[in-house]
Amino acid sequence: MKSSVSELATDYRRYLEPHTLARIASLDLRARLIVEGLMAGMHRSPYQGISVEFSQHRQYVPGDDTRHVDWKVFAKTDKVYLKQYLEETNLHLICVVDASESMGYSSIGEGSSAWSKYDHATAIAAALAYLAIQQQDSVGLAIFDNELRRYFKPSNSPAQWKTITHELLLVPRLKKTGTGRVLDQLAEKLTHRSLIVFLSDFFDDMESVQNGLRHLRYRKHEVIAFQILDPMEIEFPFEDVTLFKGLEEMGELLTEPQSLRQGYLAELAAYTDQIKKMCRGMHIDFTQVNSRQPLDVVLSSFLAVRAASIR
Amino acid sequence: MTYRLPLAFGLISPLFLWAGAALVSVPIVIHILNRRRFKIVQWAAMEFLLRAMKKNRRRLRFEQLLLLATRCAVLLLLGLALSRPLGCQDSSLADLAGRRTGLHVFVIGNGYSMAYQAGRAEAKTHLDQAKIIAKALIHRLSSGGESVAIVTASSPPREIIGSPIYDLKAAEDAVDRIDQSWGATDEAGALTLARDIARREPGNSNKSLYLIDDSTRVAWESRGDVMHQLGQELANLYKSGITHFDLGKPGQWNQAIVGLKPADSLITSRFAANFVTDVRGYGPAPTDPKLLLKLDGVTLAPGIVNVHPTAAASPQTITANNLTGGIHVVTASLVSDNRLPVDDVRYRVINVVSQLKVLIVEGERGVGGQGSSGAFLDAALNPSGFGSGDNKSTGYVATERISDLELGNKILGNYRCVCLCGVGEIQESQADQLEQYVRQGGTLMLFMGDPVTAENYNATLYKHHLLPGPLTKRITVSGDEQPRRFDFNPHRPLNRLLADFQNQEDTGMESAEIYSYWQMDLAAKSPAQRVLNFLPPDNAANQPEDPAITVSTLGAGQVVFYATSADPNAEWTTFMPHPAYPALMHMLLLGTTSGDDSWMNIEVESPLMIPPSIQLTGTPVLKDVNQVEYPMELQTVSDNKSVFYGQSAYVSKPLKKPGIYSLSTGAENYKIAVNVPAAQEADVRTIDDAEVQKALGDINVQMLGDSVPAQTVLAEQGRDLGWGVMLAVLVLLGLECVLAMRFGHQRVSGMTRAASGQS
Repeated sequence: MKSSVSELATDYRRYLEPHTLARIASLDLRARLIVEGLMAGMHRSPYQGISVEFSQHRQYVPGDDTRHVDWKVFAKTDKVYLKQYLEETNLHLICVVDASESMGYSSIGEGSSAWSKYDHATAIAAALAYLAIQQQDSVGLAIFDNELRRYFKPSNSPAQWKTITHELLLVPRLKKTGTGRVLDQLAEKLTHRSLIVFLSDFFDDMESVQNGLRHLRYRKHEVIAFQILDPMEIEFPFEDVTLFKGLEEMGELLTEPQSLRQGYLAELAAYTDQIKKMCRGMHIDFTQVNSRQPLDVVLSSFLAVRAASIR
Repeated sequence: MTYRLPLAFGLISPLFLWAGAALVSVPIVIHILNRRRFKIVQWAAMEFLLRAMKKNRRRLRFEQLLLLATRCAVLLLLGLALSRPLGCQDSSLADLAGRRTGLHVFVIGNGYSMAYQAGRAEAKTHLDQAKIIAKALIHRLSSGGESVAIVTASSPPREIIGSPIYDLKAAEDAVDRIDQSWGATDEAGALTLARDIARREPGNSNKSLYLIDDSTRVAWESRGDVMHQLGQELANLYKSGITHFDLGKPGQWNQAIVGLKPADSLITSRFAANFVTDVRGYGPAPTDPKLLLKLDGVTLAPGIVNVHPTAAASPQTITANNLTGGIHVVTASLVSDNRLPVDDVRYRVINVVSQLKVLIVEGERGVGGQGSSGAFLDAALNPSGFGSGDNKSTGYVATERISDLELGNKILGNYRCVCLCGVGEIQESQADQLEQYVRQGGTLMLFMGDPVTAENYNATLYKHHLLPGPLTKRITVSGDEQPRRFDFNPHRPLNRLLADFQNQEDTGMESAEIYSYWQMDLAAKSPAQRVLNFLPPDNAANQPEDPAITVSTLGAGQVVFYATSADPNAEWTTFMPHPAYPALMHMLLLGTTSGDDSWMNIEVESPLMIPPSIQLTGTPVLKDVNQVEYPMELQTVSDNKSVFYGQSAYVSKPLKKPGIYSLSTGAENYKIAVNVPAAQEADVRTIDDAEVQKALGDINVQMLGDSVPAQTVLAEQGRDLGWGVMLAVLVLLGLECVLAMRFGHQRVSGMTRAASGQS
């Protein structure tokens, strides 16, 4: 395992690939690798920002903001360096993860290396938590199916991250989804304004979801919604006659999927459009995530939103 | 004109259609099997799937049914296209197709009456004109779509082209190659072949039949019932029509020699021979012909004879004197200007016997040859040689007398006649030899005597058909009874064998006394001739008469049964001293033996078979009048009607031309007379169209003359719909592809196949 990890460490971009992450059993290791992989591709650390507490100097590279050039050092050494400061925030990040039965669907990998939508969601949640804690932000966690299964208040202690990664692995995925009620409960529990990252496939009653999110927004929480879908759910490439057995007690259907493909994709697109429209109306950032795609897309979205909320 | 549905069509190869119909089930079966063989997928986004299904259920079902129907239709139509559907010319479907199709069967008469020279400018004979008509009709057919079969009507009828061919040029060439046959016409046989050809082509509904002949009465009316039946069958098979071309000319006439034969079955060098000719005239002949007979090329007296022939038999007898022994050719010819010269000449090969060898087998031998059971017969048949020791004869009969114990050592084929005189025991093997001998043309004469027993004769001779009935009992007149007598009256009609006794008084036949004879149970319907009977005794006048002399035919030979003894035994009869006795014996001998020349006189289209009894010193060589050699093969005779059945004999192919052929058997040379068939074919009188139609059972026949009309007579031609249907198949295939693509039933390449969650 050590050797495989060391091999992986030579190419950080690979940490963002689901099929690579699927081979790593430990969720905290997954999260660290995701974040390090993401950072390796950035020339500006996400940890540094505008603050009063000096952190370090960094050599100038083209494209950097010239406002942060340390002219004194330039005068003395004739070299261009930038001044960097530690950011000071009081951000509360709450990761809300859907652990219903439908999130267990997977078409990527087999057996122990299978990569389900839930795996994708937990990897995102853990990575975000790691990133936040590194930045001294407080991180909380909510796991739900038809009710709120786990809830951890936000904290910025290093032990909080361990707790989060541990809990994410424990929750079984056997129940139906009850998003609206859960979000209502969560809104009542949160006392501080928080940045809520909602990770779900949204396979639930639209009105219920809408009410829950509206409740959160009513309490002035910032919400980022990620709809996590399996590539098979997005493409529906089945050809042979297939008996579809619905998860979450949705019955079954024997059909020729080729002939039904267009209809299915149209229904899915209509539903997604409805969610997008709803989110846009509530100023919620919505992103559809393909569980086969690398995770940097999700993290970049998060960082962009976070940066905007700080300014 | 036969009514047709506007869309009626037939099939050349219907099996393909059945195969296509069977294959229609394949898409259905695949569809059902697919519904049973499916993958199972655990699915999260079930709600969208169910919603899509709810909205599209009816559309999907319609699409599936439409695709299934299209695929089934493709297979069915493909089968239909391969089966070559044919529409009728007047059908709307046929208009969509291009080529005409159909089967055209030509029945062309080529019996020798078709050699009639009708005086047409472009055709010498009827057959030449028939060929012109047939080729003109074939020339009008559609190449590649219409096929031709050809049958000739001379006996035996032949399929010149039995399996229909589409090569019309080859068909015209085949017409050109049809030979003028010199045989008779077998119209019924030819129509039977035409019927069989049509039956072998059940898929082709457009069949046309063309009958091209001279419409002679004998050809069309000789087998009335058969022709009626055939007519109905042909009408059912040849739906596109039957056309008859009548080449016969009204008032055509012919004079022919239809018969030439010796008056007696045996011609000897001892006596003059009479030859009987039968000259007939058919139709309104302007002049009478003259008849001329020649023997080996020498005109027989009285030379040219005027005859007045009619359609009925009118025999003419001409006598030939001073014949020498051996093979001779008699030729009868007509001096006539009729249009059918082939039957103006007739040939006859005769074998003039200079010495008739007779084997007399005795059951009882007397001292010095006298008093034995065959001695008196010997003396009667060969008086000059009798008692000379070596039996040398100056007469025409050469006798040889042997004991019954020597019979097994003799080659019976060397004798024309074998006489068994009072032979007591006949062995089974001897009976078998005797039967073969008679079947091959020999004459067997059976004379009774003391040693004869009914048990032995019935078990051997009767069993081998050498007795016309079983012997029942020996009738012997007791001392106080009147002797029996022959039922003979010279003033009543006598059997042909006794013709010389007709009106002859005091021959002794009526006064001959018979004291003992063997009674034979001769069935009333027995084919045996009763030559002479015994008068019943006075006290039993109503009893049936017992046969005294019978003659029966077995194969090519004859058996003479003489109920009493040939020996002047006082216990049997006193007939021998009468002068009638030797005369009667000669009459029986001459009347029942033949010159053994029948195999040398055959008809055209018959093979020559050399009897096994003819001794060959080399491979026989047969040549016709033009010295063209006909090969002869040694065969086992398989015809159970032949007298040589089961034996090996040299047989030629059927001889095609009339004339005198030569046969060499090594040391011997023979002449073979080959004549045109007698009587029927010479009758060139024709019947009209109505009678032809009636002969065919009043079926619908288009009657035409001796030329092809300017307008086509091909009434209802089929048209090939195969290519049209194939086009429909291609269109349907294209439609199927479009539908499959449109309905999303095509395979999606490059798509990631479901992996996880599928079982």
